[in-house]
Amino acid sequence: MAKKVYDVIVIGTGAGGGMAIKTLCEAGLKVCALNSGRRLDPEKDFRFHRMPWDMKFRGLDDPKHRAQSFGYMDNEYTKAAWDHEIPFTVAPGTQWMWPRASAVGGKTNFWGRSSARFGDIDFKAASLDGNDVDWPVTYAEIDPFYTRVEKMIGVASTVQNRPSNPDGTYLPPFNFRCLDFILESACKKLGVPYLPDRCAQLTRPHEGHPACHYCGECTTGCDVGAFFSSPYFLLPKAEATRNLELRTDALAKNVLVDENGQAAGVAYMDRKTRQEVEVYGRAVVVAAGCIESSRIMLNSKSRHWPNGIANSSGQLGRNLCDHLYGDSARGYLPQLMGQPSFPDHVADSTIAWMPRWQNLNNPREEKFIRGYAVYPDGGCREFPYYANELDGFGSSFKREIKRRYPAPVSFGIQAPTLRSDSNYMDLDPEVKDPYGSPVARMHFEWDENVLKMWEHSKEICAEIIRAAGGEFVGSADAPQIPGWSLHEVGTCRMGNDPKKFVTNRFGQAHDVPNLYVCDASVFLNCTDKTTTISIMAFTLRTSEHLIENFRQGTHKTA
Amino acid sequence: MAGQGIHRREVLRILGTAAAAAHFPGFSKWGFACGHIGNAALQIKPAHYQPQFFTAPEYADVERLAEIIIPSDATPGAKEAGVAEFIDFMVAHTDEVQYPFRMGLAWLNARAGQINGKPFSELTAEQQNALLVPLGFKDKARPGEEDGRRFFALMREYTVTGFYTSEIGYKELDNPALKFYSESPQCPHKDDPEHKHLSSTNS
Repeated sequence: MAKKVYDVIVIGTGAGGGMAIKTLCEAGLKVCALNSGRRLDPEKDFRFHRMPWDMKFRGLDDPKHRAQSFGYMDNEYTKAAWDHEIPFTVAPGTQWMWPRASAVGGKTNFWGRSSARFGDIDFKAASLDGNDVDWPVTYAEIDPFYTRVEKMIGVASTVQNRPSNPDGTYLPPFNFRCLDFILESACKKLGVPYLPDRCAQLTRPHEGHPACHYCGECTTGCDVGAFFSSPYFLLPKAEATRNLELRTDALAKNVLVDENGQAAGVAYMDRKTRQEVEVYGRAVVVAAGCIESSRIMLNSKSRHWPNGIANSSGQLGRNLCDHLYGDSARGYLPQLMGQPSFPDHVADSTIAWMPRWQNLNNPREEKFIRGYAVYPDGGCREFPYYANELDGFGSSFKREIKRRYPAPVSFGIQAPTLRSDSNYMDLDPEVKDPYGSPVARMHFEWDENVLKMWEHSKEICAEIIRAAGGEFVGSADAPQIPGWSLHEVGTCRMGNDPKKFVTNRFGQAHDVPNLYVCDASVFLNCTDKTTTISIMAFTLRTSEHLIENFRQGTHKTA
Repeated sequence: MAGQGIHRREVLRILGTAAAAAHFPGFSKWGFACGHIGNAALQIKPAHYQPQFFTAPEYADVERLAEIIIPSDATPGAKEAGVAEFIDFMVAHTDEVQYPFRMGLAWLNARAGQINGKPFSELTAEQQNALLVPLGFKDKARPGEEDGRRFFALMREYTVTGFYTSEIGYKELDNPALKFYSESPQCPHKDDPEHKHLSSTNS
């Protein structure tokens, strides 16, 4: 029997994979998509409308599993989505958290939804401050792709005219809560912007998707699809074309090559049968998430590519950058103590943001270069986390917990690391996953620049609480460990020089023109913004470049 | 939409109970929906909870401590919320806290014996309170009671978790979670952005 050949094999179904699949299928290409986990069934797997006392462990999950938990997003409500089977290792001195959502749609099932555009201040940062190199794209080139993605997914925000943050096309923003008005007033006194966040969550019905019902449980999934996720917004459109075959429980192992070293398909492990399966295509899109994509490519060794496919530059896996996250300050707003409870939690943390305000007039105004953003949060949450900070017990303790319930505030920093030779991932020479593939080994530490941002944010956020008339309690002793943000980037960086970059300015591998990378691994660094909407905008552009290559006959349809 | 969510929650609650009940006789104060499969069976709450980890005397101490930490006063407390059942269930599933709980309770009874010549459970409410105040209030701490303070902090943490994740705890805080709204809720005091007017009304 002649082997079946698809036009394109896509590895991954998240923000990048989902966008690639939809765009390619709608252009009439036959796509086989591989997803390492299963499909979620919203009725069974999205547990977010359950009360904690309906859950066996009150939503906290079985304590026996907590040691391997990926942190705040990995709990009894979301456990169906995470992959705990594939290990990774860390080099001595490295700490790393690597949450992988293997369910169809990946991390878009319950992501943070903040959706700011990158701008020329990011793409040309190197020209401004001399560190590293500029991106091989300009804002003018990528702007129309952001506009199309915003129309597709719906982003609630306002036009803000911030030099660091290009504006887009927005749905009405989330309304400010009491704590937002108080903090906004305090920020005004200090010259810090406090504005509606850019949140891919629908404040109005949009493109056939219902508006949000403000239950406040977005980071555990949404069973009506009122915020962007690949399984609600992208994959159904691809499936409607009948050009998609989606294979689940298909853990990509390596990219197959033909006699010329070009991509010929993908070998994957069927996790149900535990057998290796090969699937063939004219082009391959790797969109498994930054580190996993690089692991697959490094594991794609052949006579042509002894160091991993498309790695003649030796840069595959290098240049890993990440967002430092941490609680810069927390405290209470006395104005709100004793007030009636209020649904502060309705958008699950992304109502307001403090977009980068540092180094805007002069790239070296501060003790650090570039800049960071801060996400404020607070008010009535599902659980009174502050209770353990209070003293005593008995009726006074119980009253104090209630009195403070509307009043907590906190500030979380999002700060980018700079590119460094010592931050990278490679393959562990000793350790293999249960399917026989070498696992990723992480080498990473925070750089001096990002730690200066952390210190800066602690000072200014404490000042904001005080300027609001608040009670400043403290800052976290240390930032969260690397990987916590889920925003790792940079291991397949794009650039014009094949000797220095893995992919070209379209995310197409320099060495292997029918191999494309559609996730954050192509980014040169993290910037102060979140990654998802940019993954989608860049993927849309890459996908159309790929389609054009089929049209022109560079890639032949199967 | 709202109606659907609530309906589904009720169904899951009933469905899930059967699977859970196969291994665990159940809580007397609430039932949980932990499984996705199982025969539909109505929940039967046992009249008395069977502790999974603590001995009967230990369990009685845990119940009493939880009641002292979050008492029933103007509103229901740990007792009504079944917090001791939650603590026993969690400790039974958490290897690393079993020793601290068991040793902590032993410490408490030994201390009660030293001071009052009786186990904790036989002390008057005033004596129990006097024993616990130095453990729970920072400015009343006594040297030599570090182990006791560590245990009390652990006990208090579990009590807080158990109480405020219960339906009674949600009602205590008038927890707005999981209500649905047709519009993004907004601050009702926009004429006073700094909210200075509220400071005078706060209790």
